[in-house]
Amino acid sequence: MVSPMLLIAAPLGLAFITPLLGLLSERLTRYVPAAAMAFNFTLGLLLLPRVLREPWIVETAGLRPPFSIHLVAGPLGVGLSLLIALVGLLVSIYAIGYVREGPVAKYHTLYLLLLVGATGMVLSADLFNLFVFFEILCISSYALVGYRGDRAGIESSAKYLVQGAIGSSLILLGIGFVYGLFGTLSMADIARNVDSVTPMKVFISMAFLITGFGVEAAVLPLNAWLPDAHSSAPSSISAILSGIAIKAGLYAVARVVFTIYGADTMPMLVLLVGILTLLVGEMSAFSQNNIKRLLAYSSIGQIGLIVFALGLASASGVQGALFLVVSHALAKALLFLSVGYMIYRTGSMEISSLYGMGRRMPVSSLCFTIGAFSLVGLPPFIGFAAKFTVIRAALAGAAPLLTALVAIVLLGTVVEGAYFFRIVQGLHFRPPPEGAAPEQTDQYEAPVSALVPICLLAAIIVAVGLYPGVLTKYLGPAAMDLLDKAAYIHHVLGV
Amino acid sequence: MRRALSLIVLLVLAVGLASALRGPSVGAEARRASLIDDDEVNFGRRYNSRAVEETGASNVVASVLVTYRGLDTLGEVTVLFVAATGLAALLHTGRRRRSEREATPASLIVFTGCRFLFPLILLFGAYIFAHGHLTPGGGFQGGAIIASGFLLIYLGCRGRQPESKRLSAVESLAGLAFVLIGLIGLAVGGSFLLNFLPEGSPYALLSAGIIPVVYVFIGFKVGSELGGIVGDLSGAR
Repeated sequence: MVSPMLLIAAPLGLAFITPLLGLLSERLTRYVPAAAMAFNFTLGLLLLPRVLREPWIVETAGLRPPFSIHLVAGPLGVGLSLLIALVGLLVSIYAIGYVREGPVAKYHTLYLLLLVGATGMVLSADLFNLFVFFEILCISSYALVGYRGDRAGIESSAKYLVQGAIGSSLILLGIGFVYGLFGTLSMADIARNVDSVTPMKVFISMAFLITGFGVEAAVLPLNAWLPDAHSSAPSSISAILSGIAIKAGLYAVARVVFTIYGADTMPMLVLLVGILTLLVGEMSAFSQNNIKRLLAYSSIGQIGLIVFALGLASASGVQGALFLVVSHALAKALLFLSVGYMIYRTGSMEISSLYGMGRRMPVSSLCFTIGAFSLVGLPPFIGFAAKFTVIRAALAGAAPLLTALVAIVLLGTVVEGAYFFRIVQGLHFRPPPEGAAPEQTDQYEAPVSALVPICLLAAIIVAVGLYPGVLTKYLGPAAMDLLDKAAYIHHVLGV
Repeated sequence: MRRALSLIVLLVLAVGLASALRGPSVGAEARRASLIDDDEVNFGRRYNSRAVEETGASNVVASVLVTYRGLDTLGEVTVLFVAATGLAALLHTGRRRRSEREATPASLIVFTGCRFLFPLILLFGAYIFAHGHLTPGGGFQGGAIIASGFLLIYLGCRGRQPESKRLSAVESLAGLAFVLIGLIGLAVGGSFLLNFLPEGSPYALLSAGIIPVVYVFIGFKVGSELGGIVGDLSGAR
């Protein structure tokens, strides 16, 4: 009965009955996402040792692949669903106290479904099924971005909806193409036959899929929706969108490129797109005065770095990319969560209104500092280990061009450091702005339900930063899960 | 300038697509021709030739939707659920602002006509989803027909609106039932959405195992969900 299928089925069933629970008692629904994600986290931990030995092929409807939909719970799938469950759990604990207004039961239903969509995406081994879970993820995030119902929220939600819908249509066209070419939707089966058609056809279908998934992954020309959406959503949703949703889009792109089309070298273009995304994201973040927009642009910068690492297309590069995915998910969730109550208390998203917070909200400010230092890549935190892995992978071949690109990456990091240090300095060393509330430390600090997830995230960031070995031993198998096309086909189809 | 640029992009896309679509479209087909006996064929062909025998459903589309691509169907049901919930959440704030407007009651003829037609529409919708495994149609179509009955009620019998709590409860329970049927398959045969009921003889009403059961739940779910969307958009709930 224990099966990776439960990672999807159990939260989905809970999400379906959440509205029913909401009819009985609205308070009860607040605990549903946390319960579901705690279940997923436990189950993921139980499954991990087994899938490290051999990927678990989950068939549905009692038919062997490729004739029905199947899931592949490999090191990558289970590892990412563990990350989704962990961040999802912590953010849902935060949301218990944070989300008080509006249709609360609907918030928790949509939030849980967003996580179901992300989990389904990382586990599915069927192209169309991947798209279905992608749609669940996207549509629930469109609704959650506009949850507060204010003008900015609805506007950015509509913007996100339009761009996301165009992306989804492109994916659907691409899937139609692939099905026409290969007569199958199983990723392993497509991968096996991909060299039986002309490169032009492969390229066209791949371009549709990558562009479509690229909208959610927020790669450079396709990310106009992101700063608005991430900054006007409630902070708990910003944390999930930045921490999890973008990564799900990136995962889909990487799965399509590496596993289906079996790319073992990447065109220079991918590296350049990554670098450009990084630079544009960091530069735009530098000039922001709104703290949430700044964090959103910084997410774009980090995505650029992950794309750069994936573009190296080597085992160590992909390992570095996965390391960055984990470190960015943890750090960005921490930043959005700790900033959430600061904005709530001051009623303003301006960076200048956060000055002097270090004395009024000491724990939140300390944790914000930890998250910021980790994103920049300072040594005792997880971000250092991640960035270091990527840079070492880029310099491994000693190609002069890559060395030059690494220099640009480091320049981006300097910019990143500049704006984060500015905020951290403001938090701790500047006097609060005129007219701010008087010092009442005990009432001003965020409530316990928010401090617990914030402190846990900070603790994980420090712990993994000090002992990166607990994470890195899983990154190798996970990277091979993505890169080793032959093994993937072998596991799924048995040939 | 912008218009010219978008025209150029469209042109490039069109040329690319046309060149890609030229020639035989099913590339893998030729390579697999030797393997046809070995089941390693195009999905569509296999479903057409084997579905009735494998699932017992005489409507091949139903067997594809509920059995072969059952997880996708669960996903589509969820997408609809997400859309309905998200719409209700977004309309929640707008609704409070709207002033209570008094609805003019419909004329006696419209009112009586709606009351007369509503049960018939429900019956027809139920017929469509209960026979999904035998004839064209199924849970989604039957559900849409049922929702059109609710639309008629919202338009014609303004005093007698379906209670939104009941719609929401039906929606939740039907979704849960779909997941539970899948889980029973997992518990019994180790495979999610396994067809664990006897297949029966094709073309009989009670045949095809779980397919009609799942379709009935989908019908309930889609009907109550679309009915709820209609209600939300008309500002009734």
